[in-house]
Amino acid sequence: MMDAKYRMFVMLLIWLALPASVMAQFGHPLDGQWSGQWGPKEKPNRLLLNLDWDGKTVTGVINPGPSAATVKRVTVDYSDTSSWLVKLEAEGKDASGKAVPIVADGRLENIGSYRRILRGTWTQGNQKSEFVLTRN
Amino acid sequence: MRKGMRGMLLGVSAVIFIAAAAGNPRPPQGASEPSQAAQPPVGRGGGGAPPPALPTPRLPDGTVNLGRVPGEKGAWRVPYITNMGMRLVGSDGQPLPELRQAQAAGRAAGPGGAAGGDGTGRGGAKAEPWIPWMPWSAAVYDYNSRNNSKYDPEGYCLPPGGPRLMATPYPMEIIQLPESRRIIMIFEGATHIWREIYMDGRPHPEDDALNPTYLGHSVGRWEGDTLVIDVVGFNENSWLDYFGHPHTDKLHVVERFSRPNKNMLHYEATVIDPGAYTRPFTIAWDVPWDANGELQEYICQENNQFLYRLVDDFGQPIFGPRRQPGELPARGGGPR
Repeated sequence: MMDAKYRMFVMLLIWLALPASVMAQFGHPLDGQWSGQWGPKEKPNRLLLNLDWDGKTVTGVINPGPSAATVKRVTVDYSDTSSWLVKLEAEGKDASGKAVPIVADGRLENIGSYRRILRGTWTQGNQKSEFVLTRN
Repeated sequence: MRKGMRGMLLGVSAVIFIAAAAGNPRPPQGASEPSQAAQPPVGRGGGGAPPPALPTPRLPDGTVNLGRVPGEKGAWRVPYITNMGMRLVGSDGQPLPELRQAQAAGRAAGPGGAAGGDGTGRGGAKAEPWIPWMPWSAAVYDYNSRNNSKYDPEGYCLPPGGPRLMATPYPMEIIQLPESRRIIMIFEGATHIWREIYMDGRPHPEDDALNPTYLGHSVGRWEGDTLVIDVVGFNENSWLDYFGHPHTDKLHVVERFSRPNKNMLHYEATVIDPGAYTRPFTIAWDVPWDANGELQEYICQENNQFLYRLVDDFGQPIFGPRRQPGELPARGGGPR
């Protein structure tokens, strides 16, 4: 009985905290952690992207861990803020350890909202597909 | 048991809903704030006919008293500064010449840029060439201009960060505690928040010990009769002002508070953000003393309908379930 009351109390707290926990990040639009996928819809590849704006460049890593790919270069076209075009270049490795270039050509959308999205075309080696990333 | 739990949650929801629907007579802060037409001019000493210049009050040890005189009421009547881009001053504390020229020509920042307003018809970054923009910060500011600050975090009842605390139009008090070497600032608005300024000579925490927050970490010192506060450690969940000047977590603010007479607080803030601006800039304004002022309870979060009507660039609610294709927006919905 106590356990049920405790669970109910915790659920109530979570329910009350929901709106407050949802917030945007208003620094550089690419800064932060992104998650999403690329590849065929029936068998997508998961993506976790950490990007950091240091005041001069955006650096980062794709899928941190043993199969991480280091982001080499990120460019954003600020000249047309209705499109927010982004190009991300990185270098990953295949199963044999051979270097595989990664290029993501995309567009930032919904930048003022916490549901900020980066989507476009993902090219990894000789594979190419759509990708979508949402800022966590 | 499960049924009972659901019933209780529904009951609590109903109570909260009824309480919220009872209504807060004040609007949430942010986009729906009324404009304050009578703003003091930029820089030192503005504000129309000055009240009698009573001498600056002091504490028994001679330090300037930035708060109430014992036995009296009073609070600082913080002005509504919607656009800090129109409050830049030079090293002499006077408005930048180019800003004065633009104001005289009536073309700076679009309608409302100089004295408040709802931000419609704003000119974006190009209207404020004196701001040392980086390409991204100019682009973000343009975005915020185009959508009339729809995503202003203060509209979500999130705390204003940095100098915006002194630009959110509700009373505030400064309470000096020399015996504990602290100064406390309490704000009726700005989500009913307080600041603690350490006056004991401690440095800022470094590296991971500096936890990014809305208000940052504040250490203060006296330079003559001016309180100088150094603030670092901001998170990126706030804007510098309602117009949407962005900042990063590299933001460093040096604030200067002085009380040239009993009725006036002069506020200056140097904004140093190498993540968003190519060089520092200083903003300044005066804050009048309200001799009968007292802080009231104001809970911005209560009945914040703005939050629940806000939709993103895809027309989807920011909060609550996402709409299915073809589903109409909720009654009263839409961007504000």
